[in-house]
Amino acid sequence: MTSVDFSEGLRERRRYRFLTRIWKSRPSLVIGLCIFWLVFVVFTALFAQAIAPFGYAEQSLLERLNPPAFMGGSSKYWLGSDNLGRDVLSRVLYAMRTSILIAVMATIIGATVGTVLGIVAAHFRGWVDDVIMVMVDFQASMPFLIVALAVLAFFGNNFVLLVILIGLFGWDGYARIARGLVLSTNGQGYAHAIRTLGVHPAKVYWRHVVPNMMGVILVQVTLNFPEIILLETSLSFLGLGVQPPATSLGLLLGEGRNYLATAWWIGVPAGVVIFLTTLSVSLLGDWIRDKLDPNLQDKSE
Amino acid sequence: MGAMSIHFLLTKLARGIITLLLAMTFVFFVLRASGDPAQIMLADDASPAAMEAFREHWGLDRSYLEQYFAYLGSVIRGDFGVSFRDGRPALEVIAERIPATLQLGAAALLLTLVIGIPAGVFAALRRGSWVDHLTMTGTIFGHSIPNFFLGILLILLFSMTLRWLPSSGTGTIWHLLMPAVTLGTASAATIARFTRSSMLDILNKPFMRTAKAKGITPKNRVLRHALPNAAIPVVTVVGMRIGGLIGGAVTIETVFAWPGIGLLLVNAVSQRDLAVVQGVILLIALTMVIVNLIVDLTYGWLDPRIEVHNKRKATA
Repeated sequence: MTSVDFSEGLRERRRYRFLTRIWKSRPSLVIGLCIFWLVFVVFTALFAQAIAPFGYAEQSLLERLNPPAFMGGSSKYWLGSDNLGRDVLSRVLYAMRTSILIAVMATIIGATVGTVLGIVAAHFRGWVDDVIMVMVDFQASMPFLIVALAVLAFFGNNFVLLVILIGLFGWDGYARIARGLVLSTNGQGYAHAIRTLGVHPAKVYWRHVVPNMMGVILVQVTLNFPEIILLETSLSFLGLGVQPPATSLGLLLGEGRNYLATAWWIGVPAGVVIFLTTLSVSLLGDWIRDKLDPNLQDKSE
Repeated sequence: MGAMSIHFLLTKLARGIITLLLAMTFVFFVLRASGDPAQIMLADDASPAAMEAFREHWGLDRSYLEQYFAYLGSVIRGDFGVSFRDGRPALEVIAERIPATLQLGAAALLLTLVIGIPAGVFAALRRGSWVDHLTMTGTIFGHSIPNFFLGILLILLFSMTLRWLPSSGTGTIWHLLMPAVTLGTASAATIARFTRSSMLDILNKPFMRTAKAKGITPKNRVLRHALPNAAIPVVTVVGMRIGGLIGGAVTIETVFAWPGIGLLLVNAVSQRDLAVVQGVILLIALTMVIVNLIVDLTYGWLDPRIEVHNKRKATA
């Protein structure tokens, strides 16, 4: 029996345990609605072109500031049109694509960077650990919106920088979790046993420690993702995130702010979408956390 | 005990100074990495002589290490450079905005505590009741709604439709009301959640049963026994939320045209008035360090055991 066989067996049992646990539990109506909304959001983000009745920049200056169809406006514009005669519904759909795309990429960046740094800190200990933890403390103590604004001020705005910047928000949470989990698993017998068999530490982490972490990391994602959406939409709302002609949910709300008195429908739908999305992820996160940690559930009930 | 307190204080102080140094290093690094500071910090039409004077003032002709220390020196003296918008020292421009932000922040923090803590306590005391469910649902909503969207909804309702409150500006308590509510909502939600779970933990502790057995009235049990013990995690979260309030102030001040630091920062960023931007950043870093220090000291005061624990962890 080689060391590879041994680790394969362990992996199969451990890797997706958290998924089976979630799968087996019955979601309530509210959770069902949350899942439905999030599926809808992802679907829209993927197929915005096919769904949207108009292009996001398609102007029609004769049809400016049309109220939504349900308020007696033209039936051509379900949610009305904005100050340049652009269809609000289409713009919201395209904005969902941008905002979700940025949020997903940023979450992946933050989770990866944070988890890797956390593992590195726990593996090497000593000064490496100290340096990383000082960075974690620094990150946690500064309001990130401010840091992001500063970097955008110094470097100017571009899409790649924006995504990377938003991605670096929240890495400290993942780092702290990963570090703690690695420190505790390293003390456990199985990690020691595998290492004694001569398996490279990187492989031990990748095959055994990381899969074990996935449940906790997933919960952290559900906490981090809404905050990332809020960060991007805040920056765009301030006019310092996504730049026109591209759209983002925050940018739409920012544009709508100037027409609150006359045409509230320009901004409000985008705000509702942001709200429903962050709300759904938060509720879903709470629910997953309960399912993953039976101890926690006992305590709160 | 005394020695331990000093040790505790010094550790925390050292941490704060490291954070400040990191913030200054961060700004220095970003400033140098983004191009020639003379060109960025001065207006486009600055004369070559002014450029030269600027370079000399900031020691840009010297080595990076020397520059770094020169930079630290001037920042510590409070010299953040000159705002190119109105030619005044950045510190002066920033200082005149501080009162407005302090006013807004204090009002929001007050609302946070006055709403968040009682809501959390009542939810915990009446666990499973409609009060609890209502509070918890409220906290999830309060936490999920983007503060700028909440601000806009409030403006739509109270300024545009009902015409009760002014939508922007400053001066009276009516001007302060909506921005403070908007800014405080998310924090109040967080505080309520933490207070609830912290109270639930404490209410199950044996000493609470003892207190009940001793015949202490429910009111005194909650106020004298449960609340002080439940306060410790809540203090941490309040400290953390102050960072959130500062970040939130940036968007809220923009929504309500509130003439504070946040609005100044947003304008400075759009106009690339970098002297002001770096001044605001460093000032906020300083604020956060002081807040964290206060939180740590409050800990030690609320629970003397914490410093012993901390010391053990530090030497382990």
